[in-house]
Amino acid sequence: MPKVVYLANDGDERVVDATSGENVMSAAVRSGVPGIVGECGGQLSCATCHVWVQDPFREQVGGPGDMEADLLDLGVSDYTEASRLGCQITITDEIDGLVVEPRPEAWH
Amino acid sequence: MLRPDINDLLTQTGPGTPMGDLFRRYWQPVLHTDELPSDGCPPVRVKILSERLIAVRTPEGEYGLMDEFCAHRGVSMFFGRVENGGIRCPYHGWKYNADGQAVEVPSELNNSEFCKNVKLRSYPLVKVGDILWAYLGDPDKRPPLPTWEFATVPSGQTFTSKRLQESNWLQALEGGIDSSHVTWLHGGGPTGAGLEADPLFAGSKGNQYNKGDLKPFFEVVENDGGLLIGARRNAEEGHYYWRVTPWVLPNFTMVPPRGDHPVHGHFWVPIDDENCWAWSFDYHPTRDLTEAEVSAMEDGAGVHSKNIPGTYRPVANKDNDYLIDREKQKTGELFSGVEGIAIQDSSLQESMGPIVDRTKERLVATDAGIIKARQKLRRAVEALRDHGTEPVGNIPEHQRIRSVAIVLPADQPFVEGIGDGFQAREGVRQTTV
Repeated sequence: MPKVVYLANDGDERVVDATSGENVMSAAVRSGVPGIVGECGGQLSCATCHVWVQDPFREQVGGPGDMEADLLDLGVSDYTEASRLGCQITITDEIDGLVVEPRPEAWH
Repeated sequence: MLRPDINDLLTQTGPGTPMGDLFRRYWQPVLHTDELPSDGCPPVRVKILSERLIAVRTPEGEYGLMDEFCAHRGVSMFFGRVENGGIRCPYHGWKYNADGQAVEVPSELNNSEFCKNVKLRSYPLVKVGDILWAYLGDPDKRPPLPTWEFATVPSGQTFTSKRLQESNWLQALEGGIDSSHVTWLHGGGPTGAGLEADPLFAGSKGNQYNKGDLKPFFEVVENDGGLLIGARRNAEEGHYYWRVTPWVLPNFTMVPPRGDHPVHGHFWVPIDDENCWAWSFDYHPTRDLTEAEVSAMEDGAGVHSKNIPGTYRPVANKDNDYLIDREKQKTGELFSGVEGIAIQDSSLQESMGPIVDRTKERLVATDAGIIKARQKLRRAVEALRDHGTEPVGNIPEHQRIRSVAIVLPADQPFVEGIGDGFQAREGVRQTTV
C-alpha cells in the first residue's frame, strides 16, 4: 500500500495510505486533506487539486499534459515547473512515499 | 475557473488594453449597409471597442468613420450636416472630410493653414457584402479585407442582422462555442419541442440525434485560425453524429448546419466592456434564400431577434425579464419559458451580470472548448503584447471556413472524416445531415 505525504503550510505532514491505481486528488479528498478540493471530480476541467510535486519525485511523476497545462495556466496563480493537478497523478508502488504540497487558491 | 487577472485581460477591450490591441488587428463589422442607406444620408453613431465614433456617407458616396466629437469644443458630430466632401459641425461651421481631416475652419483668417493641424482620429470603413467593416488598428498592420463566405456569396444567398447584447463580449462568445447548452436551452431538454418548432431548424435528422443523446462528448482540435470544437453524440449502431463549430480568432463562430437550412454564425463585437453587438448571419453556399426563409429571419426566427423598431435592442430584454412565459416553461412548450433562440441565449448570458466573475464558475468536461478558447486567446494577446507576434484569423486562408454536421463511423476521427468539408468552396454545398 503506497503512501502519499501531503505537506501543509505550517510544515506539518499528512501521510495517507493510498491504493495503487488511485490518484493524488482522490486519496486526499477521501482522507480530508486540507487544500485539495477536487471540484470537478477528476474530469480535467478545474484546477482545485493543484499540487507542487517535491523532489526527488518530480522526474518520475513527469510534467502536465496539454489540457492539464492549460488549466494550470488559466486557473492558478503559482504555476511552476513543480505543478501538477493531483487528479492526473496515478499513485503506484514505484512512487511510494510521494511528497506533494497542496496549493489552494484564495478563490477556491 | 479563471484567474481574476486573466478575466480582466480577456474582457477589457478599450484603447491601450492588451485585448483591445488584439481586436485592433482585425476588420470588425460595425454597421449594416442599411444604416447608411444612401449618399449624403444622416450620420450614424458607432461605439466599438469603447471608442465613440461617427460614420458618414458623403453625397459623393465615400464612407468615413471618425471621432464622434468635433475637435473645436467637443460637440457630437451626430448633429453635423453632411455636405459635399464631408460633414460640418453645426456649432461654428468646422468641416471635416471623410478621413476626419479639417477642411474648413471659417472663423480663422488663415483657414487652410489652421486646418492642416486639425484632424479627427479616423479609421477605414469598407463595404463587403451587406456590412460596413472597420479597422481600428495601426495602418501599417492592416490585414486584407474580410473574405468570410457569408459576406462574399451573392446577396440573394445571405441575410445578416444584429442585436444589442448587454454583457461583455466574452460571455457571448463562450455561448457561441458551447454546443452542450443547445440540447437543453434550445432543444427543449428531454421533453420540449425545441428546435423542431423553429422554421429555420425544423426537419433535420440532426435534431433527433441531438435529442437522443443528452450527454455529448467534446473534442477540441487546433486549427490554423482558431479551434474546431466537435460535439459527438450517438447515432445509428457503430456511428457518431458530429457537430463541429469553428471558432476563428478573436470573435467569429459558426453554428453547425441542419439539413438544407441556411447555415448561421456570429460575430461578437465589443461595444464597450459591458455591452456587445451580436451579429447573426444566415447564408446558403449554393442557393438563394427563399422568401419564406428571409421573412422568418426578418421576423426574428432562427438565430435572429425581434428588435424594438428603430433600434437593435430586442423587444424581449432584461427590463421585461425577456417576456418569460412561466406556463410554457412548466408545460415544456418552451424549455426556458423564453421565446426565440437568440433571446434564450441573451437572457441567460446577460443574467450572469455585465462581466461574470469567472473565479466562481465550476466548469465541467463539456466546457473543454471554452477552456481551450480562453487559453488560445490569452496566448495570442500576450504574444502580441510581449513580442509583437501577429495574431491568426485575419487572413483569407483562416476565414474561408465552414461548420459541419456529419455522421461518421465510430472509429474515424472527425477531422479526418470531414476533410475539406471545413473549407468554404464556391458552388459546393455545405456538409450537413
